[in-house]
Amino acid sequence: MDFRLTDEQQLLVENVRELMARENWDAYFAECDRTHTYPERWVKELCDLGFDLIMLPEEHGGLNLGLVTLTAVYEELGRWGAPTYVLYQLPCFDTILREGSPEQIAKVLAYVGTGKQIWNSACTEPGAGSDVGSLQTTYTRRDGKIYLTGHKTFITSSAHVPFLVVMARSAADPTVFTEFFLDTSLPGVRIEPLEKLGLRMDSCSDVYLEDVELDESDIFGTEGNGFKRGIKDFDFERFLVAASDYAVAISAFEDAARYANARVQFGKPIGRFQLNQLKFTEMAIRLDAMKNMVYEAAWHYDTDGMTATQAAMCKYYCVNAAFEVVDDAMQVMGGVSVAGDHRIQRIWRDLRVDRISGGTDEMMILTVAKGVLRTFAS
Amino acid sequence: MRIVACIKAAPEDQDIHVAPDRTLDLSRAAWKVGAYDLNAVEAGRRLVDEVGGELVGLSMGGEALAATKLRKDVLSRGLDRLVVVAGDPAGDALQTATALAAAVNEIGDVDLVLLGAGSADRYAQQVGTVLGALLGRPTLNAVDHLEVQRDHVRVERLLEDGVQVVDVPLPAVLAVTSGINTPRIAGMKDILAAGKKPVLEVTPPVGAPAATTRTVSVLAPEQKDRGRVLVEGTATEVAQQLAQFLKAL
Repeated sequence: MDFRLTDEQQLLVENVRELMARENWDAYFAECDRTHTYPERWVKELCDLGFDLIMLPEEHGGLNLGLVTLTAVYEELGRWGAPTYVLYQLPCFDTILREGSPEQIAKVLAYVGTGKQIWNSACTEPGAGSDVGSLQTTYTRRDGKIYLTGHKTFITSSAHVPFLVVMARSAADPTVFTEFFLDTSLPGVRIEPLEKLGLRMDSCSDVYLEDVELDESDIFGTEGNGFKRGIKDFDFERFLVAASDYAVAISAFEDAARYANARVQFGKPIGRFQLNQLKFTEMAIRLDAMKNMVYEAAWHYDTDGMTATQAAMCKYYCVNAAFEVVDDAMQVMGGVSVAGDHRIQRIWRDLRVDRISGGTDEMMILTVAKGVLRTFAS
Repeated sequence: MRIVACIKAAPEDQDIHVAPDRTLDLSRAAWKVGAYDLNAVEAGRRLVDEVGGELVGLSMGGEALAATKLRKDVLSRGLDRLVVVAGDPAGDALQTATALAAAVNEIGDVDLVLLGAGSADRYAQQVGTVLGALLGRPTLNAVDHLEVQRDHVRVERLLEDGVQVVDVPLPAVLAVTSGINTPRIAGMKDILAAGKKPVLEVTPPVGAPAATTRTVSVLAPEQKDRGRVLVEGTATEVAQQLAQFLKAL
């Protein structure tokens, strides 16, 4: 297998490195994290380099460079402790291009290059988390209009996106699930931000929908297809979480390694103590395993397709392995990591959320087990 | 307007290892276009974008210049094309400038030659002035601002005690400061386009001059233990103490 990047991929990675080295982004991220602010200035600079064109097809002005390229960029950004988790909308145009109407596509693509948040889907409800099928939000047709009513919760990015793709069931036939492309500024939409342990640079809110008036043209995709659409796109989102978490673990590992070489106790650098050496060995192995896993999945995505099993494996393994790496790095750095304002605190909190957000560990296990066992079903 | 920006490939300084005998180990260093040279490229790009024309990169060097990645890197920063002259990157200023002067003449109709403050490795700051002399053109260094005004360029030079404003007739040779601009970081589109831009390889003229300088030694500074002196007090007191330390050095 050849994991070498092309000249162009290497240059893109080097230029991302140059962007990250040009200023103290850490201070900016810390401030954004503290104030629950989307780091738009940073995302805009990434978009100036063409970040949001990487996965966008050429017919829409993109570069269509593939998931391996995107993974290499994530890897470099993570090395700098950057919050790649806020970037998930920018490689995800595929959903909109596949399902959206020409008007919906135009509305979303108008944001390319701006660095602003664009859209997210809204599935989760107080009574419908992993069990999406039990959602209670309904749509009703009345006088040529469609009215949407319900309560969505824990909706990522919803405080600042102009559009939400909302899943609802038909009031007339509860077995029919349909999605709607919702302009969040419409009357009847109320968004109430929530506090959050981690991933704080992206918002997380309750979304209340009270008789929101929509047109037939606001249906996203095909009526009755909402459930299937969502499941298909979960895979890509799961992969992005895996890549993001692998990448950011690199920063914690490197911080800890530099610290272990410099910090002297009992007359020698603490990296020479065997208990710490075990940690570094395990951290390095986990990073290596994560790297191989995400690059292989990305390569499949670009060539013969990434399966739901691969995506779920990546998320389940990388979220947990990254968390262990960061947790070990914290242990190595001792007081420096838990007191004061070291970035590892933010990263540790973020990773803990990822075991729940974007599909829980438990749902990943169900998906992987189903996938691997099916191979041997007679 | 045809502008030539001179660039030199040099080992990345972060990759250079210092041996215990203070000699430099370059074997693991990646070669990159010098950071100061990118100021010349950026200045050239901005002028060409403003008044129209062409920006040609010019470099003399050895194997490092054969790397497609290095070529694409510098082409992506705003060059329209690249001219590469085979030669010894360790040559002295006269040898380098002689090869560059021949290439500038071969490119032809060059209105302006731009260079960085110095190369990323030697930083002798000599090639620009020697090149200007060989070409017989007005030559200035320390150029901190420049703008084209009809048939000449108005140049601001950063001097120790002020800013000197000079109108320079074209064609001219100018070495720019590292503060004249912030070189752009190439975007993905520029990187992809770079591979399609023309690169011309030219052979240096026969009868290159003999070296006029000699390198006695290249050694890293001697490592010294830290002084472990902590200065405390008000800003004035601290400043006074620091001044005392500096005087005592």
